[in-house]
Amino acid sequence: MNRKRIYWWGERAVLVLVSCIVLFPILWMFLTAFKRPKDAYSLSLDFSPTLSNFVTVFSDPWNLGDMVLNSAIVASVTVLIAVPCASLAAYSFSRFRVRGRKFLFFLILSTQFIPAVVIVLPFFLMFRTLGLLDTRIALIVVNLAIVTPFVIWMIKGFIDAIPTDSEEAAMIDGASRLRVIKDIVLPMAAPGILTSSIFCFILTWNEFLFALILTRRDAVTLPVGLVSFRTERGDLWELMSAAGVMITVPIFIMALLIQKHFTRGMTAGAVK
Amino acid sequence: MAEVQLVDVEKRYGDFLAVTRQNLTIKDGEFLVLLGPSGCGKTTTMRMIAGLEEITAGNLLFAGERVNDKAPKDRDIAMVFQNYGLYPHMTVADNIGYPLKLRGVDRKTRTARVQETAEKVELGALLKRRPSELSGGQRQRVALARAIVRTPKIFLMDEPLSNLDAKLRVTMRAELKHLHHELGVTTVYVTHDQMEAMTLAHRVAVMREGRIVQLDTPKNIYSEPADLFVASFIGSPPMNLIDGRISGGRFEAPGVSLPVEATDRDKVVMGIRPEDLELTDPASAPISGRVYALELTGDSTLVTLREQGSSICARGPADFEAAINTSCGLAPKPGARTHLFDKDSGQRIDA
Amino acid sequence: MRDRSLAYVLLVPAFLIVLATTLYPLAYSLVTAFREWDLTKQRRPGEFVGVDNFVHAFSEPGFQNSIWITTIFVITSVILTLLIAMSLALLLRREGRLHTFTRIILILPFAMSPALIGVSYRFMFNPEFGVIAKGLGAVFPSLEGVPWLASPDLAMAILVLTDVWHWAPYMTFMCLGGLASVPRETEEAARIDGASSWRVFFGVVLPQMKGVLLVIAVLKTIFALKMFDQVVTLTGGGPGTSTETLAFFIFNVGFKWYDMGYASALAWILTAIMMLISIWYVRMLLSERKMATA
Repeated sequence: MNRKRIYWWGERAVLVLVSCIVLFPILWMFLTAFKRPKDAYSLSLDFSPTLSNFVTVFSDPWNLGDMVLNSAIVASVTVLIAVPCASLAAYSFSRFRVRGRKFLFFLILSTQFIPAVVIVLPFFLMFRTLGLLDTRIALIVVNLAIVTPFVIWMIKGFIDAIPTDSEEAAMIDGASRLRVIKDIVLPMAAPGILTSSIFCFILTWNEFLFALILTRRDAVTLPVGLVSFRTERGDLWELMSAAGVMITVPIFIMALLIQKHFTRGMTAGAVK
Repeated sequence: MAEVQLVDVEKRYGDFLAVTRQNLTIKDGEFLVLLGPSGCGKTTTMRMIAGLEEITAGNLLFAGERVNDKAPKDRDIAMVFQNYGLYPHMTVADNIGYPLKLRGVDRKTRTARVQETAEKVELGALLKRRPSELSGGQRQRVALARAIVRTPKIFLMDEPLSNLDAKLRVTMRAELKHLHHELGVTTVYVTHDQMEAMTLAHRVAVMREGRIVQLDTPKNIYSEPADLFVASFIGSPPMNLIDGRISGGRFEAPGVSLPVEATDRDKVVMGIRPEDLELTDPASAPISGRVYALELTGDSTLVTLREQGSSICARGPADFEAAINTSCGLAPKPGARTHLFDKDSGQRIDA
Repeated sequence: MRDRSLAYVLLVPAFLIVLATTLYPLAYSLVTAFREWDLTKQRRPGEFVGVDNFVHAFSEPGFQNSIWITTIFVITSVILTLLIAMSLALLLRREGRLHTFTRIILILPFAMSPALIGVSYRFMFNPEFGVIAKGLGAVFPSLEGVPWLASPDLAMAILVLTDVWHWAPYMTFMCLGGLASVPRETEEAARIDGASSWRVFFGVVLPQMKGVLLVIAVLKTIFALKMFDQVVTLTGGGPGTSTETLAFFIFNVGFKWYDMGYASALAWILTAIMMLISIWYVRMLLSERKMATA
């Protein structure tokens, strides 16, 4: 009886500790973002919050607004290209047993094992020749490389979980394959496709390596923008934190909105 | 409405032969049941008729026309699935109306037809709901309504009642039978439940390991099973099958000695249905043994006797009582049928 | 049947993307790996130099160092992540308000930008005003004034910490998925047969989780091999070269020294390592499956 009690409290203590470890760095960053520069370097929680850091980062010379726009455009366009293409491919992989299917699927999956540096080197050289360095197009193209196979794999997992009965019923009711996809599969797979889209958005939004190498000034995205707060005067922590809040908040909102599907999307890979 | 013909139809998955050279003609307006244990190829056969499964070899004819290469949507069939195959994101009305929508029927006619069909299966009040808000029986009705909302050439039903509880199954069975009578559409029905097969079918095709082992009316399948497999599969409780031999015009086995009209031979299996046996005085009985179990089923009592490891079951009167392990005797009722099979081939031995 | 051609048609758009964005650059970098190409001197690819770039790699201290650093990083980060993820999953499997809350909280680290994680840990471990550095100093006086990120071993430890903080929650969800697929009945049967909690876990649950854990281990290994963002924002590879992982080393060769031929060769070495691990993993998984079905 006593042991059970100890265990009960122990379990809760561990969970509280884990939540603290996870939340603390995030909370500290949020706090710092609202501190005046002099408060940022003290550990005191007694400070008068200010929005001045946000005003500063959005004005010259930092111009965080441009970076937000770059990040938003790059991530959205990547999603808009990758997800429709990946959904069609995922359906094909999930439902048709045609020759070469396994090989093609393996080929696509294996590209996930290629380190990003390998891909970015030739792209840097190609974009340099084409004059596309420091453009959003360049970032979109390279991001597609990482995101597309991942989204195919994820959406396939979701479609695999949908029983084929309804599709077969529709075909017998008189629908062509394309009609089945439009009327039956897409509506039924919608939660999965939405989840995959948000995963895809998060990956692209947080992407750092490509943006670091391929952009300089015009197409700089938020994560790379962080590095620019490292100046000769030292690291401007309060401004970095304000920028960090700008990177984090939209993603956190998305992740929490689809929280249930999100965890399912995460676990989907393990079970297969 | 149409006659369906399978000519040497085969289905292979790699090396595995799922359906072997099937030849079967389903008459116009007939209710044919494909019956067999799981994995016998009955569902595969139906899915080939539906066009959901490619035919490896042979021809499939609808009213004399070869349809092997036609897509399911061009075959003019309707199908009820085991798990109903409803469209979860559509209302009941949209589910039922979907086949009409695909055929370009205008909205007004569609609504009227959906309403009319829904009334027929007692769904009139539920048209605005989604499938997830319905009970199993109601879902089943939606699937049925969707199939009959237009008049297809052929109905296909893949174990449509197997997900329902026992009571509902009996009700739905009667409804299906009535519906077929009303519409008169050629129907192919897959089941592993012999009771469904017997009650619904004009003819039953009993399948085993990708082949049809017997194709006949329910009555004939019951009274003259073609082999041991059919004999043991049809009937509840199943037919007693007793290993023995025939000598001197009598079938001999431990505890059994019955006159039969057959020439002497070894390795014979005799089949006799529990309902064809009656209880008699153990001293003079042709079949005797000790009481192993008594099971009251309501209208009768099932009596199981054991003798040297083999058991025999008989249907006795509901008020029959006896202590376990007491001796008991059985005899065929007057005019009862006994069946003889060759033990090795399993085939029926005709007198 | 027409379905068959449709199956391929549906694959076309995705394949064009993969072809253009992965397979083509891959081929391009393979060719470059066999050439000499110093971008500061040449605008166009230089001469074929055979396997010189590869040979050079294995004799260069910088590369050898990065292999060593990467190995340490991968091993510690994979083991820690797995242990933490599995333990957390076992705790979180039960229902409860606190459990649900923790599960929701665990989504956040994965959604956070790795570059930002690096930055914020750099801030928190600053010896003069970092909240963790100061906090630890206050609790354990001997830790006061420790030059966290300026010490090679501690910098590596913090790098591992950021990576575990980022990935362990995600992997916890994967473990939870795996646990959900372990039938409760076997566990309950073992419990009724009188097995202790430890016995149940090691004797019943863990063996059934092998496949899932293997998948997680390999995914984590791949992610750890690719890890790059935090190196840039947390340590910059330093102090000295003490946190220069292979990915970061390749980045330096390519975009600080602009030696494209050499960088491509190194990138292919990293790819080869990942491929080998993946193949080994597929083999393990297949034999695992075979044993499971036998």
